[in-house]
Amino acid sequence: MTCRFVYSAAAAAPSDMAVDITLLFKASVKTVKTRNKAIGVNVDSAKDEIFKKSRPKSGFSLRAKEVITNITKLKDFLLQHRKDYVSAGSLISTDLSRMTDSERDQIDQDAQTFMRTCSEAIKQLRSEVEKQATSAQIKEHRVAVLDLIDMYLKGVCKLYSEQRAIRVKRMVDKKRLSRLAPEHPGKVEKTVVEEPAEEKVVKEESPEKNTSEVQDSSSNLWEEGRVEDELSPEEIQMFEQENLKLVSEMSNLVDEVRQIEGKVVEISRLQEIFAEKVLQQESDIDNIHQLVVGATENVKEGNEDIREAIKNNAGFRVWILFFLVMCSFSLLFLDWYDG
Amino acid sequence: MATSVREKQTVALKRMLNFNTPPLKNAAAEPVWKVLIYDRFGQDIISPLLSVKELRDMGITLHLLLHSDRDPIPDVPAIYFLMPTEENIDRICQDLRSQLYESYFLNFISAISRSKLEDIASAALAANAVCQVTKVFDQYLNFITLEDDMFILCHQNKELISYHAINRADIQDTDMEAIMDTIVDSLFCFFVTLGAVPIIRCPRGNAAEMVAVKLDKKLRENLRDARNSLFTGDSMTAGQFSFQRPLLVLADRNMDMATPLHHTWTYQALIHDVLDFHLNRVMMEEGAGTDPSQAGARPKKKTKKTYDLTAADTFWQKHKGSPFPEVAESVQEELDAYRAQEDEVKRLKSIMGLDGEDEGAISMLSDNTAKLTSAVSSLPELLEKKRLIDLHTNVATAVLDHIKSRKLDVYFEYEEKLMSKSTIDKSLLDVIGDPDAGTPEDKMRLFLIYYITAQQVPSETDLEQYRKALLNADCDLSPLNYIKQWKAFTKMASGPANYGNSGVKPMGLFSRVMNTGSQFVMEGVKNLVLKQHNLPVTRIVDNLMEMKSHPETDDYRYFDPKMLRGSESSIPRNKNPFQEAIVFVVGGGNYIEYQNLVDYAKSKPGRKVVYGCSELFNAAQFMKQLSQLGQK
Repeated sequence: MTCRFVYSAAAAAPSDMAVDITLLFKASVKTVKTRNKAIGVNVDSAKDEIFKKSRPKSGFSLRAKEVITNITKLKDFLLQHRKDYVSAGSLISTDLSRMTDSERDQIDQDAQTFMRTCSEAIKQLRSEVEKQATSAQIKEHRVAVLDLIDMYLKGVCKLYSEQRAIRVKRMVDKKRLSRLAPEHPGKVEKTVVEEPAEEKVVKEESPEKNTSEVQDSSSNLWEEGRVEDELSPEEIQMFEQENLKLVSEMSNLVDEVRQIEGKVVEISRLQEIFAEKVLQQESDIDNIHQLVVGATENVKEGNEDIREAIKNNAGFRVWILFFLVMCSFSLLFLDWYDG
Repeated sequence: MATSVREKQTVALKRMLNFNTPPLKNAAAEPVWKVLIYDRFGQDIISPLLSVKELRDMGITLHLLLHSDRDPIPDVPAIYFLMPTEENIDRICQDLRSQLYESYFLNFISAISRSKLEDIASAALAANAVCQVTKVFDQYLNFITLEDDMFILCHQNKELISYHAINRADIQDTDMEAIMDTIVDSLFCFFVTLGAVPIIRCPRGNAAEMVAVKLDKKLRENLRDARNSLFTGDSMTAGQFSFQRPLLVLADRNMDMATPLHHTWTYQALIHDVLDFHLNRVMMEEGAGTDPSQAGARPKKKTKKTYDLTAADTFWQKHKGSPFPEVAESVQEELDAYRAQEDEVKRLKSIMGLDGEDEGAISMLSDNTAKLTSAVSSLPELLEKKRLIDLHTNVATAVLDHIKSRKLDVYFEYEEKLMSKSTIDKSLLDVIGDPDAGTPEDKMRLFLIYYITAQQVPSETDLEQYRKALLNADCDLSPLNYIKQWKAFTKMASGPANYGNSGVKPMGLFSRVMNTGSQFVMEGVKNLVLKQHNLPVTRIVDNLMEMKSHPETDDYRYFDPKMLRGSESSIPRNKNPFQEAIVFVVGGGNYIEYQNLVDYAKSKPGRKVVYGCSELFNAAQFMKQLSQLGQK
């Protein structure tokens, strides 16, 4: 009998506390089939053994799965190039796998457009789900599925922004280290997209200051040492000192500008968070507003009703009084009539 | 037991929800969505362990009851988690026939029999859905874990295995067999999940003994069946297996009837006694108007609120077992700490406002942005803290209202004195006759405890006096009949239980002065200090774990399922003291005993004690069962 063989095969998997009895189930299926054949019940066994009936997948799940595969592709792409992207650290840069900045920018742009298209797709699916008139359970299920995809996308975006933050930080550190290379003091690396306006102003100021100071010093010297064509050693020293001073001033300015940049990036992040919270609160406030409006309406109606009631009460009283007076008059009249 | 039972059960559930493969640790893994279908048993098991948010995180989009109307959702795998009863199997077959989902993962809470499996198989064949039934599992999770070290058997049909059902006068043998089978099945699942084979000790001559015999047999059979054993060595670490076998102490409710009726003073036990508390969820009515003088006005609508007291709530975990006044003070402290943090955050706002004009203070700006970032990231924590403080404030206020209106502190003090046989200053009649203090139920409880703990039965005249006083106070006297029977029976069997020495010191005036500062004005409520004392169950566990010889526990039976020959001797082979114990009370238990065991385990370092019972009742429910028994 097949039973005994199957029974031993249904032994507990050592790592689970739960017992997998799927094989036992399949054995029971076979038993039932043979039993049915013996009894003579009509059995179409051929159908599901030979080819698995693939039920038509609805459009929604196909598209949802598509979005997921896209996001996974993005994630793999980011992870693949992560090491190269981030390896800006060493100044002794002989790594062959090192990327140039333009490649990094390319990756940034591609990732951003990709993320945008994915979130668009999710929004589209969401609006479709709203419009479609399906049962409540299916709708709830689809909304939850879209939430899951959204969370997944957020996770991948976080990967990307972490990478980017590391890159920016590395750039800033590198700049700080290489302060004494003043050939391009005003050159800005195209790392940060949000360039503060102050930096541009400072940049414009610094070359001006540079030129004006150089001009002043050169004019001073020119006035002083007009006679000599060649520069004496003291003058050379003075020039050198002035150069050093200028260099340190420039690098200070660049440092401050870098710092401001970093702070502004942080502030923008915080602002995003605040904006999110405020938007969340907006819907709550709308609800409260509606409730308050409804409450004032109700109170107004209540006031009206109370006024009516008072009037009715007053009117009622008048009628009672009139009736009593009429009764007493009629009594008097009858009495007079009788007597 | 390096990980507690609750963690083991949670891990098992999570694995099941992940199609029975171990869940990946990768945070950014692709989401796979599924639908969870459970019956009421499954719901009770899952709800204390996993919140709805955690289910969502694991990809469960919908969770539905088995016997509700469900719409077909194609292309979605469905995970079923239910007991293998007839109606559940019928419903599964119906689902298969109507082809509601794409693939089916069937998980049965306890083992399913072969015939029922064949029913499902035939339904699947008839619906041509055999390939859709992807996996079938026996999960062996037929128990509900409420705390790290506390479990109960079931919540749904607990009348079937309640104290009343076991101790009925008109019980049949078949009924008893059925009850015992249910209990043994759950205990067996518990030990499978724990992954250890215990040594069993039980007293003689009552329901606990029957359970022990059956459990021993079942464990033995399973161990003998070498191919199919659920306790193979791969699943457990070596240390856990050989030297550290846990001790299972089976106790019976009849040993100690006073503890379930006792009025209590610790936070968790009070909530269970006074409010509606099931499966770690408190249900309260909010907004109850306290002045009944507005005769003409419509009564204020009471809204029902439910609160979940979970493991993530640190305040709850710390103060579950503390006496109530301590809890009140701690809530006040937490509130103050929270307000301080809130002020800190608000202060930053003003600083940021000033800084906009000061251009040169870049360093100050950086400091404040760092502070602001940390404040913003700590905001969700702060909000969570506020929510918890609100929750505990509401719950504690409700409990305090009950205490004040029923004068529960007076009862508690009196009962402690009764149970420790120290001198009592007020006579029992005074307390019963006092119209202010407590509901008729409270008075009945007090009297029953007096009756149970009295050394000799009070004389007939005394009894008549008490009866009259109780009837005056509108008490129901039927539990008394049953307790009389019980007392007579246990007197024959052994001496009355000794409740150990305890002392209760009221703190009186001094406490009142101290408490005026706190929000909870506990005027008139005595601040009672609990001294450590051991309930009978705790003492038994202590004796057995340390292998002390004591007249109470000496003639307990001894079972070891791993021994080849089932010996009937009561001489334990193992002479070492046990480090882990599992206490199971047949017939019902409550939080007072649990708290006592937790305190005992804390006092002895390195000891772990897990408490379980067949059902969890508070004093009111127990009284109802007693009155039903007394009316027969």
